[in-house]
Amino acid sequence: MRLRVNAGLVAGAVLVGLVVLAALVSFVWTPHDPTLVDAAGKLRDPGDGYLLGADKFGRDTLSQLMVGARTTLYVGIVAVGIAALLGTPLGVIAGMTPYGWLSELVMRVNDLVFAFPALLLAVMLGAVYGAGTLTAMIAIGVATVPAFARVARAATLQVMVTDYILAARAAGRRGTAIAFRHVLPNIGSMLIVQASVSFAIAILAEAALSFLGFGTRPPTPSWGRMLQESQELLFSTPRLALWPGLAIALAVLGFNLLGDGLRDHLDPKLRRIRAER
Amino acid sequence: MRRIGIWIAVGGLLLGTTACGGGGGGEPAGQAAGSQTLSVGFVAEPANLDFTSTEGAAIPQALLVNVYEGLVKLGQDGSIQPLLAERWEVSPDRKTYTFSLRKGVTFSNGAPFTADDVIFSFDRVKSDWKLKIKSQLDSVDRVEKDDESTVVVTLKQPSNGFLYTLTTRLGAMFSRTGVDDLANKPVGTGPYTLASWKRGDSIQLNGNDAYWGAKPKVTAVTLKYFKDATAMNNALLTGGIDVISSVQAPESLRQFADPGRFETVEGTTNGEVVLSMNNDRAPFNDKKVRQAVRHAIDHKALLDTAWAGRGGLIGSMVPPTDPWYEDRTGDYPYDVAKAKELLGGKTYDVKMRIPNLPYAVASAQVVKSQLAQVGINAEIEPLEFPARWLDLVFTKADYHLSIINHVEPHDMSIFADKSYYFRYDNPEFGKLLTSADQGSEQQRIDDLKKAARMLSDDAAADWLFLFPNLIVAKKGVTGLPKNGIAEAFDFTALAKQ
Repeated sequence: MRLRVNAGLVAGAVLVGLVVLAALVSFVWTPHDPTLVDAAGKLRDPGDGYLLGADKFGRDTLSQLMVGARTTLYVGIVAVGIAALLGTPLGVIAGMTPYGWLSELVMRVNDLVFAFPALLLAVMLGAVYGAGTLTAMIAIGVATVPAFARVARAATLQVMVTDYILAARAAGRRGTAIAFRHVLPNIGSMLIVQASVSFAIAILAEAALSFLGFGTRPPTPSWGRMLQESQELLFSTPRLALWPGLAIALAVLGFNLLGDGLRDHLDPKLRRIRAER
Repeated sequence: MRRIGIWIAVGGLLLGTTACGGGGGGEPAGQAAGSQTLSVGFVAEPANLDFTSTEGAAIPQALLVNVYEGLVKLGQDGSIQPLLAERWEVSPDRKTYTFSLRKGVTFSNGAPFTADDVIFSFDRVKSDWKLKIKSQLDSVDRVEKDDESTVVVTLKQPSNGFLYTLTTRLGAMFSRTGVDDLANKPVGTGPYTLASWKRGDSIQLNGNDAYWGAKPKVTAVTLKYFKDATAMNNALLTGGIDVISSVQAPESLRQFADPGRFETVEGTTNGEVVLSMNNDRAPFNDKKVRQAVRHAIDHKALLDTAWAGRGGLIGSMVPPTDPWYEDRTGDYPYDVAKAKELLGGKTYDVKMRIPNLPYAVASAQVVKSQLAQVGINAEIEPLEFPARWLDLVFTKADYHLSIINHVEPHDMSIFADKSYYFRYDNPEFGKLLTSADQGSEQQRIDDLKKAARMLSDDAAADWLFLFPNLIVAKKGVTGLPKNGIAEAFDFTALAKQ
């Protein structure tokens, strides 16, 4: 079997790689201090050391984008982490005991949380505990739990009828052992795909929350807040909205392409079809 | 004057839900001669229409002068002008005011306006009003009528602020038969009456046919409410409204730069944007640290970046429209070296708890950046406004630094209350305010100047800038108030060419 290059996968990996690279570099170097207010450099045009210009506070847009990438990844990782850590076990349990009351309970609670918009949850948490990156991450994470639980359950149901599970059961293996040794490794690929797609959704949610003033606190750079601050200048200095908007769009596209590509790559059925072609 | 008034300008906060706020609903321009209509955009909708029981600047902004009238009203230059009282006399001991009432005035419910209504309205402040500011009329001892059109008000002690207070909502005249449903049906003597109120959208005022005075040129005014600045801007651009009563995103003014289509009015307000420092909590209980903060902030740069250079610079709690204004901006010039010297090389970590309003969020980022240069690391914490900010900062004084626009007129007196969230405790300051209110007019001005200087010297707070009155209107709309110093947005002078 020859490994075919999946164009979507590569494009997604490159875009995500760019975001990760920008974030990593920002730890050691940015062109300028991204939070330093410089009245003299207000709305500075691009050029002269400021590749993308400066905003109304005189802050360098490129530096802000780079540190903003950090915020974006940070939120994505923590939110998806919360969702995966909570959702996967719930989904596996529900999948392994499909007719038990526990499974019913888990899935119905899942439906409840699923019906609740992530943004609304975040705004509520922000109002009660104070808006900030942490509350945003937790809210986005909790709201993403059902997505993981459903995928994990569906995948587990498929795995549970395979011969090796029957064999393991017949050999008297306990449920936890089966879950860890057989189920998780076999549903892992689907979870990775789900994580990639959820990551894209989390990025969008963080941007929306920051735009609404419920996300990352100023002056920590965030793509969503950059968009919001550029709003009143939309007509006079549209580039201020263009760059963070582009960054969000490309990052979301990147993670979605990566997710699609990984699914094509990791799914055994799809892989077989490709191999036969 | 203990109440805090705040621009409830929640611009940019709920963008997602109001993106469709502009556009339709505006009155078509160009009516038949003699009946003009006008649509004015506002940022804060009243919770209800009863300013005797409900706080909030939006209610008197819409109704005072337009629907309700007082005995006197505030002119654009800050002078006190006759309204329902044709004239008044003050006794030599300055404790007795004799008002001669205008005759032939009726309320919009048909009842005539008489001396009994004046007495009723004064009494009602004491008995029924629920606002904290009603204490401003505590100086009134008794109100009596000489005849049907003459009322005598006797004060407990002379008060220089009394007539001014009567220009505010506290001086509004109510009908004895028209206070059953103030929250929905205001009854006043003014040139307009309430026609309809679409909650969450608009209030419609129509001309009062039975009005005693000159009838306003604009016979129907629509007050349209927008939760966010961009939606309001777009409404003016697309013709949905004729006037933006208060621009909340000053950088966006460039959209309205075309003099052939729009007109911009810029003046002053009573709104001091204050960088409050908790005088009762370390490190700001140390005067030197507070002084360092004042030296560390480049106010000109702050105004230029945070509010597009619109508005003025002030150095104490007095706007330039008050007679006791003195330029105090030179008290603490921008001087990083001096600030560092005052801090003695120490560094501090503090919390800056601000309301999530556009001007506060913008200013806070500049303040943080500038304070960082002298070694004060201020962590910005935007709180939901009004509820959470009022609870944590205003009520519990659980903060180091905050930023808020104090919009009340003549509100220097809030510093005299040591339980107020500034926690400024200086008995000398309170004495100055008392003698100012009771002394002669000249003494009042001298004392208040001294008081303002004292606040500045003590660095009781820092004054970031004076909030501008920024109005944008379609070309041809005349009579817009240059200065936003009254509680009311006066529609009576407006006209369309």
